[in-house]
Amino acid sequence: MSDRDHDHDHVRTVKPMVDEITDFEVLEIALRELCIEKGLFTAEQHRVMTEYGEQIGPTPAARLVAKAWVDPEFKKLVLTDALAASKEVGVDWLAPTGFGTPSDFYAFKVLENTPNVHHVIVCALCSCYPRPILGNSPEWYRTPNYRRRIVRWPRPVLAEFGLQLPEDVEVRVADSNQKHRYMVMPMRPEGTEGWTEDQLVEIITRDSLIGVALPKPGVTTNVITASVPAIRPIVK
Amino acid sequence: MSGDPVSAAEQPNVEAISVEVLEEIAERNQSWPIMAAKYGVENPLPPWKTSLDGLCDALDRSCATDDPLNFTFKERRDEEDALSATRYANLPYPENQLVALAHSLVARGVIDETELQERLAAIRARLVAE
Repeated sequence: MSDRDHDHDHVRTVKPMVDEITDFEVLEIALRELCIEKGLFTAEQHRVMTEYGEQIGPTPAARLVAKAWVDPEFKKLVLTDALAASKEVGVDWLAPTGFGTPSDFYAFKVLENTPNVHHVIVCALCSCYPRPILGNSPEWYRTPNYRRRIVRWPRPVLAEFGLQLPEDVEVRVADSNQKHRYMVMPMRPEGTEGWTEDQLVEIITRDSLIGVALPKPGVTTNVITASVPAIRPIVK
Repeated sequence: MSGDPVSAAEQPNVEAISVEVLEEIAERNQSWPIMAAKYGVENPLPPWKTSLDGLCDALDRSCATDDPLNFTFKERRDEEDALSATRYANLPYPENQLVALAHSLVARGVIDETELQERLAAIRARLVAE
């Protein structure tokens, strides 16, 4: 490749960047370094947490649902033409970037939960998942354990995720296939009245869009739940 | 820093404390929407955002285990929310979260304000070094 080709390629692919060091960038580094020096955490612990955060940040799918919660017209679009609605949150299923393969891009339907119906998605056959809008699937989603059992015994399997639904709520399992992708639109929870779309996005976690959890005020994509140290931790 | 002296044993009224270096940063307001517009950048969030998340999460763990911060996970997060909505309400998110966190740590005596000022200068010098 000639230099000229190389330059041309960069012009086409490299996005502009902020070419200035801001006070906030410096402040973040300063706090982090001082905390590390004071022994509050290690650099590696910080890196692990950052990596974790980068993987789980709010997805375009969360934005789609939050917009639908605050905008009834957009909600209609989501439920009738989810591919068109996806474009409004920056995801074009026909020209995706980052996630997905061509087999993902046939049809996409968003399933609305109601007070009487709860949806949960699966791919009993393999691991079909709405990747362009929801990112890569969780490990457990691809296991035969989940795939086999959620279609047979949805309530006990949901209970294993800590989700226990009242008996009068019908559970519908949507089985994806090579031409169809599904996603759940959970009900907007109580306690979120007056919230902005950005606030709502934070509580619409991946698992609530799969249907194995319900969104709750205070539980965000970013929460680190309390954990108990292992009794026999692995010694490196 | 001005205001009541902070005792590690009691809960300080952090909102009432003024941290000069942070006031200056807030005043200068090099926040991401402004900088992004200046350079034609499309990313909705600043590049340090996930590192800040990692910092907050790591601190939360620190609060939860041996308690060197002398305040709990929930107290720290609540304080962050309160400061973001009051003293630093003019900043956008996540700048207000970052400055609120810095405010908490200084107001509670975890980080000394002079120490922070010196570190800010040292880091800026490091980042612009040729």
